[in-house]
Amino acid sequence: MVKVVCDSTADIPEELYEKLGIEMVPINILFGSESYRDRIDITPEQFYKKLVESKVFPTTAAQSPGYFAELFTRLSKETDEILVILFSSKISATYESAIQAKALVGNIANIEIVDSLQTCGALGLSVIRVAEEAKKGAKINELIELAKDLCSRAHSYVVFDTLEYLLKGGRIGRAQALLGGLLKLTPVLTLRDGIVTPVQRTRNRTQAIETLVNLVKGANKIEALMIEHASTPDDFELLAGKLAEYYPKEKTLRSFYSPVIGAHCGPHVLCVDFIEGKQ
Amino acid sequence: MKQASSWNGNDLRDMFAAGSNWLEKSVAEVNAINVFPVPDGDTGTNMLLTLRSVIEEADRATDNTTSVMSKAMSHGALLGARGNSGVILSQIFRGLSKGFDGKDSFNGADWAKALAQAAKTAREGLSNPVEGTIITVIKDVSTIAQKQAEKNPEDLIAVMEAAVNEAKESVARTPNLLPVLMEAGVVDAGGQGLYILLDGALRYLKGEIEELQFKKPQMVSANITASRNVNIAPTEEEEAYGYCTNFLLEGDNLDPEKIRRKLDGRGQSLVVAGDETNVRVHIHTYDPGSILAYATTLGTLHQIQIQNMDDQHVGFKEMQKQKSMPADIVVVAVGFGEGMIKVFESLGAVVVKGGQTMNPSVKEILAAVEPLEVNRVIILPNNKNIILTAAQIKELTKKQVEIIPSRTLPQGITALLTFNYESTMEENVQAMTKAIKSVKSVEITTAARSTQINGMKIKQGQIIGIIDDSELVACGDDVRSVLMDSLTKGGIDSAELVTLYYGADTKERDAEKAAQMLREKYPGKQIEVVKGGQPHYFYIVSLE
Repeated sequence: MVKVVCDSTADIPEELYEKLGIEMVPINILFGSESYRDRIDITPEQFYKKLVESKVFPTTAAQSPGYFAELFTRLSKETDEILVILFSSKISATYESAIQAKALVGNIANIEIVDSLQTCGALGLSVIRVAEEAKKGAKINELIELAKDLCSRAHSYVVFDTLEYLLKGGRIGRAQALLGGLLKLTPVLTLRDGIVTPVQRTRNRTQAIETLVNLVKGANKIEALMIEHASTPDDFELLAGKLAEYYPKEKTLRSFYSPVIGAHCGPHVLCVDFIEGKQ
Repeated sequence: MKQASSWNGNDLRDMFAAGSNWLEKSVAEVNAINVFPVPDGDTGTNMLLTLRSVIEEADRATDNTTSVMSKAMSHGALLGARGNSGVILSQIFRGLSKGFDGKDSFNGADWAKALAQAAKTAREGLSNPVEGTIITVIKDVSTIAQKQAEKNPEDLIAVMEAAVNEAKESVARTPNLLPVLMEAGVVDAGGQGLYILLDGALRYLKGEIEELQFKKPQMVSANITASRNVNIAPTEEEEAYGYCTNFLLEGDNLDPEKIRRKLDGRGQSLVVAGDETNVRVHIHTYDPGSILAYATTLGTLHQIQIQNMDDQHVGFKEMQKQKSMPADIVVVAVGFGEGMIKVFESLGAVVVKGGQTMNPSVKEILAAVEPLEVNRVIILPNNKNIILTAAQIKELTKKQVEIIPSRTLPQGITALLTFNYESTMEENVQAMTKAIKSVKSVEITTAARSTQINGMKIKQGQIIGIIDDSELVACGDDVRSVLMDSLTKGGIDSAELVTLYYGADTKERDAEKAAQMLREKYPGKQIEVVKGGQPHYFYIVSLE
């Protein structure tokens, strides 16, 4: 069976990792010189609490090639085929690390690495589908194609209070077009070709939530849906309620928004991810 | 100091330990200049954390042969690699260990060979190596180290000295190779870190223990003049690029001041720096040949670098393009008032000046539409008298033009905010047209003449309040009370977001006071104040 590996930004609910046999690679989060492995040394709850309380601004760092090399060596003892699906190479060197580790370990297994150009639930929902197919016995080449196809149809739309964290973290991308404006804006952002890109500018959270709902409403048949938040449970429930009209509530995955990405968003994140049906 | 050629694994470990302590002193500075590949300000930290892991593993090495030690260090780098710079650094250590494979001890030539291996491994390890980064610096360093090793293979210190000098030069040149650095006027942070690391190692080899303890590393600055202002900004008029020409002049009795005077006016961004025997020259010129010809009359030329800046500019443009929005639709808005125009511009619209008292002509609007690089244009007239004028544009251009019938500036701003980067022209027009209905505009101005409307007797010069540019709802002699009255009649009760754009004749303090009153009266609402700077209108208010 093909072993599926993803990184901790995929925001996959914990029980699914075990159920589907997905291996999770933690990304490093640093508060000054204190280093934490995402979801191993620090939970999202702890992270967002610290984000607000800490005087130092958190940074994130890609996982090392050595970590991947050890992981590949360990996994090669139980499987011959490893499929690694990672978050956008445009915002992290993690993909680069995995590529180097692959060169390093040699032919211990057939290792394939996919740059999803996505992150968060858009990555997570894709990885879940791939892992389900892997469990059913799909071949690695089929899974690579499936992963690429799913990632190209996956969307992640996110709303948060301020662009300050994104700017300081160096990942402002095309949202830099929104800086220096005179109106107070609550933009709705996404990753487009792996780069942070504004989708729409709204004036406040009410309008932003409305925009998220409209994005789901306007999508061409939704195959999977995840909603995520960080330290904003009321808005989260409000959004969940509104989205129930467009996708079954019981099939909707609910998650905490990735601390690694959250380090660049700040608190009060609201996010909706979905995989759109084929045109 | 040790005898040449007797260096072993422990020396290798100690020189890098010293180098990493040296780097630790400048971590903040290295972090601060970090702009590539993402300006996240952690290059120094990532390099240091990676190096700590290198030294930890080195301390665990089982014997002190160079081969075993370098393998332990490489393993440490691999495990501890943090971020982009750490990953590249781990490749460098991997290359070093390949170069030292089977060596018990090492000399200058071995070190040069290991550096060459490091440069090669680092480059090969990247799916997309970018020049002007640590990759270029390690390559330059290894080239010079090999040259020096040919002269004196035994002397490690001499090779290291040449390597460090070249590292410094190479780091200073990085902005010439990587436009994003040129734009920011800084050198590459990873390269800077590597230079400091090697410099610390050299100082250790030379036995400069006190310096290592009490001094701080020198940061390399960009070799592009005080060049935050180098004309590389992507202004449309900009075309004068030519060749970036850079060389070192060696001779006797050189006079940098005289050389500067001689070259002044023959190009831009001229830098001439040095002393009687060495002068560094940097100039952006159309005619590098004449500069070199002049210089050869004074001495010998070294490290000659001539680069076509148009090539660099293309790279720069590409980068800008990647960073900016993939716009294939542009919104043109008619507006007036300094602040109002800024609001529209900050939201990405192209503004044609005009409004109530000065309707722009068809020609003026067309002049804004025609030069746009896109084929689809949406026009926001923002005034009922301009809607028809704007509609004429459709007939006069080959571009696909759609008009959103916005009658006021607030309607225009709401429509512009509704613009969705990912939607089609049709979807956007539909959404924007719908959006203008979701906003009520209230304008406070003075009556141009005496009249009687809606049962109100209005004298010329009195303050009046108008809703949606059509219905006069309030009049009086006090701006604030007319404002409050008009807002009530305009339906502030059902609005969530109230934005007060105050005009050129209204003080900011007064606008803030009005906003404060509104906040007290309507505690649940979001009340914002923006400088509109519009003439004639004390306030333009949007109720959403």
